[in-house]
This record gives sequence, structure tokens and C-alpha cells, in this order.
Amino acid sequence: MSKEHGMSRREFLKVSGMAAAGATLMAAGPQRLHASGSKEESGHAPGQMRTTELVHWSPNSASDGEVEDRWIALFNDAHRDKGVQIRKELVPYEQYRTKLLAAVATGKAPDMGFGLPAGKGALFARDGVTVPLNDLARQVDLDLSDFTESSLKNARYPNYGGDELFSIPMDLMSLQPEINMDHVAEAGLDPSNFPQDNASLLEWAKAMTQYDSSGKVIRSGIMQTASAVQPNVTWGIVSHQMGFRRASDDLRTACVNPEAGIRAMEWVLALFDEHKVSSREVTDRYKAFGNGQGSIFWTGPWTINGYLQQGLNFETFLFPQIGEDNRDTYFEMGGIEMYTQTDTGRYEATIAAIKWLSDNSFLWTTEGRGVSPRKSIVSRPDYRTAGPPWKVRGAFVEGMEHAKIGEIPILAADDFTIYTGDNFMVKTLDPVWVGEKSPQVAMEELHERWQKDLDEG
Amino acid sequence: MVESLRTRMRAVRWKGKRVHWSAYAFLLPFLVPFLIIIVAAAVFGVYVAFTDWGIIAKPIWVGFQNFAEAMGDQYVAKAFRNTVHYGLVIVPGIAVLGLMFAMYVNQGWPLSGFSRAMFFAPNVVSATVIGLIWVWILDTQYGIINNYLGFFGIPSVPWITSTSWALYGVSMASIWWDLGLGFVLFLAGLQEIPRELYESAQIAGANGVQQAFRITIPLLRPTISMVVTLQFIATFRIFSQVLVMTDGGPASSSMSVIHYVYTEGIVIGRLGYASAVSFLLFLMILAVTVVQRFLIRERHS
Repeated sequence: MSKEHGMSRREFLKVSGMAAAGATLMAAGPQRLHASGSKEESGHAPGQMRTTELVHWSPNSASDGEVEDRWIALFNDAHRDKGVQIRKELVPYEQYRTKLLAAVATGKAPDMGFGLPAGKGALFARDGVTVPLNDLARQVDLDLSDFTESSLKNARYPNYGGDELFSIPMDLMSLQPEINMDHVAEAGLDPSNFPQDNASLLEWAKAMTQYDSSGKVIRSGIMQTASAVQPNVTWGIVSHQMGFRRASDDLRTACVNPEAGIRAMEWVLALFDEHKVSSREVTDRYKAFGNGQGSIFWTGPWTINGYLQQGLNFETFLFPQIGEDNRDTYFEMGGIEMYTQTDTGRYEATIAAIKWLSDNSFLWTTEGRGVSPRKSIVSRPDYRTAGPPWKVRGAFVEGMEHAKIGEIPILAADDFTIYTGDNFMVKTLDPVWVGEKSPQVAMEELHERWQKDLDEG
Repeated sequence: MVESLRTRMRAVRWKGKRVHWSAYAFLLPFLVPFLIIIVAAAVFGVYVAFTDWGIIAKPIWVGFQNFAEAMGDQYVAKAFRNTVHYGLVIVPGIAVLGLMFAMYVNQGWPLSGFSRAMFFAPNVVSATVIGLIWVWILDTQYGIINNYLGFFGIPSVPWITSTSWALYGVSMASIWWDLGLGFVLFLAGLQEIPRELYESAQIAGANGVQQAFRITIPLLRPTISMVVTLQFIATFRIFSQVLVMTDGGPASSSMSVIHYVYTEGIVIGRLGYASAVSFLLFLMILAVTVVQRFLIRERHS
């Protein structure tokens, strides 16, 4: 190749080397990309309106997530000419905290998100990850008097923000038993008279449990698993009903009435070993109930749509009173938080979007999940008829009056959560369910750690 | 000035030889990301292990506190015990089965070409998919394996729902998934052994077992060493299968070190503590690798 008409090998190497080095340096250089994807004032020609895209993080990936998508699509349709759009990004629940902290630390947080269940965000409130919302809510005339008092209470962290709200409540959830109506019919039980107390619950469970020839449970009357969420949330509810408290009301003393907590552990163990109405051999509780391998399954409203689509013949009823103290059940609140931005000018559009979503949460709290915290929505005449049939949805609405076992609003709230498969409480109690640790030892371990957590505030 | 710089750069010598700058330029596309993503991250990880860090604030130097806590943490001890246990089940499983399959394919018997593809196929599927499939296969109540065992009157085995079996259930899935690499390496090793050695041994009257122990296995020693080393390292990092199949349960009976690190670091957000546990795992992998390389060392003589 002549020098006049082409490139020599040396020149080619030089150019290629420089190009490669340049490309590498550009790739390694500072990025304008957002941690949550691009979040920007999107393109517009002169005279066109600038569109603000709000990034919304959500861990909802089950059938409730599909309804959430429709809810956001409604917002986007209503705001197409108003210069604001929401983009939902799915973030797995177990990674939500770490990803959010990383995004905030790098100044690239999403504008808003469903975040962690209310009560678990004390750390966010203390460290300025979430934005206090009282003033912002006032700016957009969000009618806080329309919210139930308990929902607003669960959006506050008295230790770290006084009276400030750190999320706008969107839905209230409880754990209630779902029951397979085919099994009820098979067992000849009266479908108009569901169990109300411990005795009738066990009676129904025994009638519906099936065994193999060796006496092993092959269909659980009460759906349980050997470890993780199901036995632990069961203990959390039953122990509370028996008078145990994870923390005193003033958040100073851990494990109030430990004897009741131990009795509740024994009650859970008896389901497997004494009454033989539950099997430890269930791999996936959701699938197993859907496949008819369990008859009574206490779970949340997020399962309703999935089982209906699957054609499962089931109904729900109020969680029975197993303990002698009360009939309380698990409570969880979904709320939308706002996250700290370097450009605080985005707050106005974000709180306006959250207000719209709250005002228009009828779809979310009828077809999506849970019950609305807005009195005006619950009192609508069509609230009972919208969404899934009342026989599967009703207990989740009517049972809210008993839904009182929520989070402990301290920094180490995670350690106290009863609805989880992976925290300190679960690690401590799982060995009890498989017979490797005594209830007494487990209670001592819970007390030691929880007291330390409470002392740290 | 540019010409002067060029001249000076051309004049640079390293140990008497001219430095070829263009070669370094070609290395840059790999070197820069490698330094940033691997080396810098590893160094930062070691630093974080000596701090209390929750992402949002600056790391607080705590010295050896995380390591001291890890040494007294019963779940760290359990995770390490389980991880070693995984190694002792999975690595021999892959080595023995991989060698057997490789010997079968190496014979060139009918269907060996098809078998070669089949034995390797699971290796191209992601660990998550393998985990999801094996959860169904191993289900105690309606899994296919227990169904077949039932034909022989064997009672159902709680493969992933009992503290005694969960680790073995996960190990079975891991062996099935990871067998392909060992198989391919053994096959390559077998094909390197000259046929004449077997012919000479036959003439000398050696039977099949003698040929295996006097020819095949000694000449495969470097391959065995490599397979065992690679599999130990891979098994000590076991995570996806555990997360998908058992989430470490029941009662932490199948929890691996990486699963524990994930829980502490990503789920709970204790990055300093998780880094300290990771560093302990690194030390364990290093120690085991050195020891087993010594035990199955290559003998060039």
C-alpha cells in the first residue's frame, strides 16, 4: 500500500490505539445517565411544553403491580397536555433500601416510590432520605382530614420528625384467612359459618386435612411452611392475641409478657406435631394453596387477583380469635414517599402527582390491594361492588378494624417485623419450628436483641 | 515540540528494550475497566470491611470490629460450615460424574455425539432458571423425583423443606447445572492421552481397571487438579440456587456465605460487616486452593 493512497501499518496502529484509548476514557468518564435511568426534562421544539418525567420506584410485581400500572397510565393520560408524566420502575423489595440509599447518596434518587411499608422508614426520615410532607401537602390542598387517623399515625416517626408526615397513605392491608370452598364442601362444613375462635378453627382444619396411609399430612388444613414467612407471621399474630407485645407502647421495654409469646410458639408447633393439620413439607405456600394443597391460608389482599385469574374457588373470612386477649391481626400500610432531590424544584410536581394518585386511588384500593385510607373513597356506594367479589375481598375491608399489629417505628424496625422471611426474628424462630431450639431459649434471644434495639432508639 | 515528545517517547527503554506504546494503547480498553471495576472495587471492599457504612453517610473506621463480630456470629459459622459442606458434596459429585460421562463419550459409542451436547446443555442455562426448575422437580409433595421414588415404595424425601436435606437438594441442582464444564475439561484431557499407551498396556496384559489407574488417572492429574480447583472456587461462591430454591432455609440449614453476605449487605444494608465476611470467604478460598493444589499437584517428571 503506497503512502499516498493509504495508511501504513504503523499509522493504522497509532490511529487505532488512540481511538481505543479515547473510547475507553469516554466510557470511564463522568456519566449523565441516571441511576434510575434517565430522568429529565424531555425534548421539545420551540413553543412546545416541557415535559417533566417523574420517576416512581415500586416493588409491586404481583397482580397488584398490574393495577398499579393502570393507575399510573390513567395519571399519564390525564396529564399528557399538562407537562408531567410518571415512569414506574420496578425495584425488588429486598433491594429497595440499598438501591434507594445508593441513589440518594449519588444525588440521583427517584422522585417518589412505594418504598418500604410504613413504619419501617425511620432511618430514611432521620437521614433525610425522605422528604417531610406537611408543608408540601398543604401547598397542593391535600385534604388530610379525609385520611383515617391511624393511617396518618403510621406515616410519622415521632423520634425523627415530630408531627411530620413522611409518606402519603395509599392503602391499608391486613392478613386474613382465605379458604378453599371445594374443601369446605368435601368436608361437609357449613360455608355460612366460618371459624371464629381457636376451637372452631382447629375443628375445621382437622376436617379438611388429608393424610396418606402412614398418617402424614398431604393436604394442610392450615397452610404452613417449615420456616420463613408463614410460621413466623402466624406466631406474630397469635402471640399478640395472647397478650405478648414485642415492645411496650412507650418503646422502652422489649418482650412484654414473654410467657404468652412462648405459649404462641407452642401453639404453632402444635399445628404440625399435635393437631397434625399442617405440613412442614410445603415448598411454596402461594403455589400450594393455588394447587389445592392447603385449605386455610392467611395471607394479604395482594393474592386475590392471582387466585381469581387461576379460577380457584375460595372465599375469605375474618382472622379468628385464637388468643384470649384480642382478635388483632397483622397490619401493613402502603404509602408513597418523596425522596430528596438536588433539584428541589421537582417537589411541587411530585406532590401534585401524589395528590392526584391519592384522590384517584379508588381503582388501586378496589382492584389493586387493600382498603383506602380515604374516608371519602370508602364511603362511596360503589366501593363494595367494584373490584373482586365481596366474598373474597370483604374480609380485607371489614377486618381493618382488627388490623393493629404493625411495625415498631424505631431505627431497627426490621428486627421486629413479623411478615418477613429474612430478619433477626425469623433467624431466631426458624430453629424453633424445626425442633432445633426451645421456645424459652428463642424468647431469651429475642428479648436480648430487641431490648438493645429499643435502647438505641 | 510534538516531534520532540515523539522522539523522547520512542527513546524510552525498559530493561534495554524499546517500549511499544501502541501495544499499551490496545490494552487500555480492557485495562481501564479492569482496574476500575475489579481492582479498585476489591481494594475499596477491603477498606469497607474495616468501617461501619450504610451507604448514605461516610464510612466510619472501626478497625477489626466487624471481623471480631463475624468471629462470634453463629450465623457466620453456620454459613461457613454449610459452604464447606456444599464443597464436599458438589465438587466430588461433579468430578466423578464428569469423568464418567467424559469416558463414555470418549469411547465413541453410539449416541456419544448427542450425549456430548446433552451433558453440556445445562451449563448454558442460568442458575436462576435451574433453581426454579429444580424447586418443582424436588417438591416433596408433587415433585417428579419423589413420584418416581414412590414407585419403588420409597417414602417422599423432603429435599428442600427439611433441615437435614435442604443442602443436598440444592447440591443436586448445582451438580446437574455445573457438570458440563468438568465434563468438557475431562473429555479434552482424555483426548490428549495417546492411544498407543493403551495398546501397549493391552499387549502387556493390563486389564481395564489397571489401565484406568495406571494410565488414565495419572495422565489426567493436571485436568483433575484444574477441575477440582475451579469447582471449589465456584462452589464456595454458591448463591443463586440457594436464593431461588430455599432462600437459605429452613432454619439457615442451606445458607451459604454469599447468601449471608447478600442478606447483610444488600437487604439489611450493613456493607462494612458484609465486606468483612466476604474477606473471610476470600481467605478461605485462598487457603483451600493452595492446599488442594499442593495435594493434587502436577508432576512434570
